[in-house]
Amino acid sequence: MYSNIVITRQISKIKCLCRSLVSIESQKTPQSGASSDGISPPVRIQRGPTDILQALSTTVGIDPTAAHYKYHDDPYLIPLSNYRKRAYALAAEAGRKAAIWIRDEHADLFTTRIWDPPLRKKTPYYNADPKIEAFSPKPIYNDESKVTEEDLIYTIRNALIEDSIKVYQLLGGSQGVSDELKLQLLQLLCFYNEKEPDSVEWLEERWFSANTRERQAATWRLGSLADTIFTSMEPKSPEAYCAIIQGMAKYYQAERAYELSQEAIEKGIPLSTGVYNALLGCIGFLREGATLRIEALKSTLMQMKEQGLSPNIETLSACLRSISVWGGGIQLQNLAMQLVAEFRELGIQPGLSAYYYLLCLFCKERGPRNNILSKILTDLESRQHLEVNEPTDTNFFITAMGVCSDHLQDINMAERVHALLMKNNNYKLVGDAYKESIYYRHLVTVACRHAPFEKATEYLDTLIPNIYIPEPSVMEEIIRTLEVAGAGDRLTQAWSQIIVFGHAKRTKLVERLLSALCNCYEYQEEDVKEKIRSAAESILKHGETLEQKDESRDQRSPVSQKLSATALSNIIELLSDVSDKSSERWTSVETALNKLKQEQATGVPSKPEAISTLAEKAASMGKLEIAAMAVAYLAECGFEEAAGASARVLGAMLNRPEEEVRALLQEPAGALAGSLHPAALAVLHSYHLAKTGTAIRDSESSTSSESDSESSSDED
Amino acid sequence: MNTSVAKLAQISFRSINFTVQGTPVLASELHTSAPLCRVVSGKYRITKKRDKPLTYEMANPPHYIAHRKSWNSWNTSSLKDGLRRSETAVEDEFIRRFMTGTWHGLVCSEVIIKRQFNHIRVAAIMRRAVSPTKMYFLLGYTEELLANWLQCPVTLELQTVDSFKDVVFKYI
Repeated sequence: MYSNIVITRQISKIKCLCRSLVSIESQKTPQSGASSDGISPPVRIQRGPTDILQALSTTVGIDPTAAHYKYHDDPYLIPLSNYRKRAYALAAEAGRKAAIWIRDEHADLFTTRIWDPPLRKKTPYYNADPKIEAFSPKPIYNDESKVTEEDLIYTIRNALIEDSIKVYQLLGGSQGVSDELKLQLLQLLCFYNEKEPDSVEWLEERWFSANTRERQAATWRLGSLADTIFTSMEPKSPEAYCAIIQGMAKYYQAERAYELSQEAIEKGIPLSTGVYNALLGCIGFLREGATLRIEALKSTLMQMKEQGLSPNIETLSACLRSISVWGGGIQLQNLAMQLVAEFRELGIQPGLSAYYYLLCLFCKERGPRNNILSKILTDLESRQHLEVNEPTDTNFFITAMGVCSDHLQDINMAERVHALLMKNNNYKLVGDAYKESIYYRHLVTVACRHAPFEKATEYLDTLIPNIYIPEPSVMEEIIRTLEVAGAGDRLTQAWSQIIVFGHAKRTKLVERLLSALCNCYEYQEEDVKEKIRSAAESILKHGETLEQKDESRDQRSPVSQKLSATALSNIIELLSDVSDKSSERWTSVETALNKLKQEQATGVPSKPEAISTLAEKAASMGKLEIAAMAVAYLAECGFEEAAGASARVLGAMLNRPEEEVRALLQEPAGALAGSLHPAALAVLHSYHLAKTGTAIRDSESSTSSESDSESSSDED
Repeated sequence: MNTSVAKLAQISFRSINFTVQGTPVLASELHTSAPLCRVVSGKYRITKKRDKPLTYEMANPPHYIAHRKSWNSWNTSSLKDGLRRSETAVEDEFIRRFMTGTWHGLVCSEVIIKRQFNHIRVAAIMRRAVSPTKMYFLLGYTEELLANWLQCPVTLELQTVDSFKDVVFKYI
């Protein structure tokens, strides 16, 4: 079946040859120069195989309105909260892992071509020609497997730590393996400290892995296989020394690393720059106190000079890394600047890691403001492209944005940092999901606090929800900004966002939103007011459904907190602004009032006048029940507005002038029991309750005031 | 023509028999009688109660391909000097069976297979009967397993509908 391909391959070879001949000719043409018609074609530019693809891809930018391309483009499958983003991406990867597991378990099935007739299946074929390594099953090593040195080479090449240890043991340990392979294994073990690294294949796991901060403690395994291999090697080569010292220093076994390096120097074994870089990184573990440490740092650098080693970019970042964790102070800052200057003279420009450590050193949380970031950015902006040297390079952007937000509080600087991140291919330096979210948290915070409103909303519109989903604290910041700007329309959208992002259970956030809605309600357009009212109603309903869920789940401690009394009174204030009696909002007002009255809410309202306004309004609209309930609540809570409010409400209910109402209120309540409407009677009771602090005992007509009076007398 | 169809059937029969061992029932499903094809194949019989649901693709008989509906397999193997004719057909059948079996009871449409270079794109409409997380698991699983089986990148292009009724074009 591949016979056709062979021919085409040959044809393509011929074509290629022809093309190259042509190109040689065309290259010559301009040199000869004297073409008859005076046209000289330009010299051919050599292109790489992916150059055209890259050129095409630069014409498309990031589309902020679409979800990330790792998610499936379907409304059902697009994630809209941080939790879902994580869950979906990891679920897809779990599926891939399952498939890989099946492939490795049934490796024999994956070597045949499915269309082959059964007879030919005995000899292994591969579906692809040539065979693709990435698609072929990985070998599984256990105690029974027969291994050769080939296997050891394979496992070392592919950085399979556990497998390589297994194979090494199966081969018979230090006796059965050649010195060269032993050295390779030692280097592998020292690099990873005998811990299986996160596979490069599982991108999402790396992206979402939470343990991004490595522990700054001695994690080197003492007496482990690496140590055994090192002691068994005789004579010990310089490479072996370098490997073990670097491994120990990398995992902070500083003293042992230092001893070994001294031993190597005494024996006259040359050490590499990498070893010194590693040693420079853990000087802080050897000495105490800034002066001693600085001396040690300088003497190590001098030692490097004596050995005739030239420092590289990692030397600078290792020095700065050490200095940055020794605390602050002008002495260390000066030393850092000296180092940077000296390395500049050597022609070594500080990388992103070095700048990261400088930021750590100069821009302390509570220290004086330092504008070093501006100089750093000027330098980085002038570079053609940012080179990645070390894993810590990914810390630069998040720290720089943190400095903009907390230290400098400067939106212009933040914009410069963001522009640099968006330039070329720099976005890959953002790190992982955790760092990315912190970066955007800082950016959104600084934009909300210090940017003009239009700019802030521009950022919010582009970033949320596809690139970044705000955490509750950032959401609060956003709500504050919208409140200050009086953007009622956007505040109502914020409520739907809160639901979608899964923050609706956070009562504090919802209460903050409600008070923001209340504060900017007055000066909104009529249609926005209507939106705000429906948002308030939906908040109330959402709270109810949450409660029902809690009840149905029958847990001892409810998961969701209840809205506070202030929040409920805010809802009531918003909802009661309706002009007709038949509006459905009144039922919502009634539910909210009921909640308040049955003491389902914590605390007391901070604005009782909202409720007294409601009572008067309800009375004038003929919603007597609601008016009576509101006044009764005010009286029970002992607000001083209660008496005045109940008098006014009674006036509105009975439609009589003020003097008459006063006279009525002076009469003993029992006399009026028969002649008044029950609601009016309840208001009367409330009045007396507010005035005297005790209810009148002889009224049995309304049961509600009965129970209320008892509760209030308990309080007394 | 006839012989090649028979050959294709034989090959696919063997390979299917190999992959699904011990199920000779499959043998009766494949038949290669040519004269019936023109009248019956690719068309659906009307039921007495007229309650058999058809998707748009099913409702249009084969002669409407390229007029009202499109192909279910997109590849260049059947062009002049096309490569891997039988292999492509068998692989496509494998992909279809794998999809309907892995996404059990979820596939609401034909499985469309498009080949470009060494890249296979598989499109289908799914029911939203399982949670998105499970769907993503199946997505990753299907893509990776098919990629390893067929030794080339495989991409799933799914769309979801609320229920099977959303894809019903008519009842016959």
